[in-house]
Amino acid sequence: MTLAIVLIVAALLGLSFILGVTLSRSRQLVRGGSAKQIQPIDIEAFRNLVDPAEDEYLRHRLGASDFRRVRRERLLAMAAYVRVAGRNAALLVRVGQSALAVSDPHTAEAARQLVDNALLLRRNATIALLRIYGALAWPTSGLAATPVLRGYERLSGSAMLLGRLQNPAMPVRISAAS
Amino acid sequence: MLQAHSLLWHYLWIAPRILTLTLVAALLRGNFRRRYPIFFSYLIFSTIEGICLYVFDVSSRFSPFTWWRAFLVGTIIEGLLKFALIGELVHHLLHPWPSIAKLGRNLISGAGVVLVLGASVAAAFAVPDNAPRVVGGAHIISEAIYLTAAGLIASIFVLAAYFHIPWESTNFGIAVGAGFTWCLHLAVWALVTGGVVRNQVWEDLAMEAAYHVSVLIWCYYLLIPHEVSIQNPAPALPEGSLDLWNRELERLLQ
Repeated sequence: MTLAIVLIVAALLGLSFILGVTLSRSRQLVRGGSAKQIQPIDIEAFRNLVDPAEDEYLRHRLGASDFRRVRRERLLAMAAYVRVAGRNAALLVRVGQSALAVSDPHTAEAARQLVDNALLLRRNATIALLRIYGALAWPTSGLAATPVLRGYERLSGSAMLLGRLQNPAMPVRISAAS
Repeated sequence: MLQAHSLLWHYLWIAPRILTLTLVAALLRGNFRRRYPIFFSYLIFSTIEGICLYVFDVSSRFSPFTWWRAFLVGTIIEGLLKFALIGELVHHLLHPWPSIAKLGRNLISGAGVVLVLGASVAAAFAVPDNAPRVVGGAHIISEAIYLTAAGLIASIFVLAAYFHIPWESTNFGIAVGAGFTWCLHLAVWALVTGGVVRNQVWEDLAMEAAYHVSVLIWCYYLLIPHEVSIQNPAPALPEGSLDLWNRELERLLQ
């Protein structure tokens, strides 16, 4: 009886989720993607945060407890950047998706490239977030968030290319100008 | 078996099959058969299976045991087709995006393993009944298949939603229709194997109605063009700094 109830609840939850996705997808198709919602990221600041040399410098300059506190703060800041990068990637998937079906083959190819790079960044951001949360529990451990940084840089190139093909006067910007 | 059934019961057994046959005939024209061979086979098999079971049910020449044996064999073959269809849906979803394809396939495979274990546990805890073995076995196998299939299709939706993987309209329609009917079938089979309800007319009606809705969903997505994005203007893109990023990329390449 209990198992039956668990399975029924799970089935109904699955059904609600599928119907929710269906409704949100039809709304998205009508609205299309909007690059206006993209939050630019200061890549230089992020690069400093993930730089292992900076961590080494802080490790030598600070005491163990101070280093752990500073390192946790840096990790939290890093997580905030990665979350924004992941959110931007999701928005760029929608931007690229709305350009996938255009008749111009160059634009369609640029859109495909943008979507693929955005998906790669979303994947890397997820893995990096898991690593960051792991490192928060163990602040003295090493952390490699570099794939996110590289993915973000590559994504910017794809976004700019698509932006240029669609509207040569207004390229897309996903990082803050320094 | 010849049982007295309501008009609604007859309608729900016949109408979805006629609709499916119409859909199959309409899909024969294009290259759909080559793009989705497993879904196409699934549609044909489920229609033949449904018609056979209907005939076995209303005809006095077939015993209830024959019906249940046919149902069991049909469920197993259809179950295999369902898992193959899930593979086809995953392929169409992930194949265009190499960056996420491997991780996506691994996650869905992992979910499959967990669901098979869950289905085994659910089968082990099924409430025994006084019905012949073939009937009880059919109940348990149906629940196990729907638990795994519905769980897998829900996992595909979760994966696509989390990573924002774009769905192609046809693929999405097939997945929504399958997800809808499989989730509802799972709920009904959970009630049956849990001993909450047994031999109720509404079980049949609920499952056939769910299948009917799924066929309508498939007709909507597969027969009506859905390329809405073409009609949309190019998305507005904010102003930005091309030179800065070109410099940054060049520096990275060096």
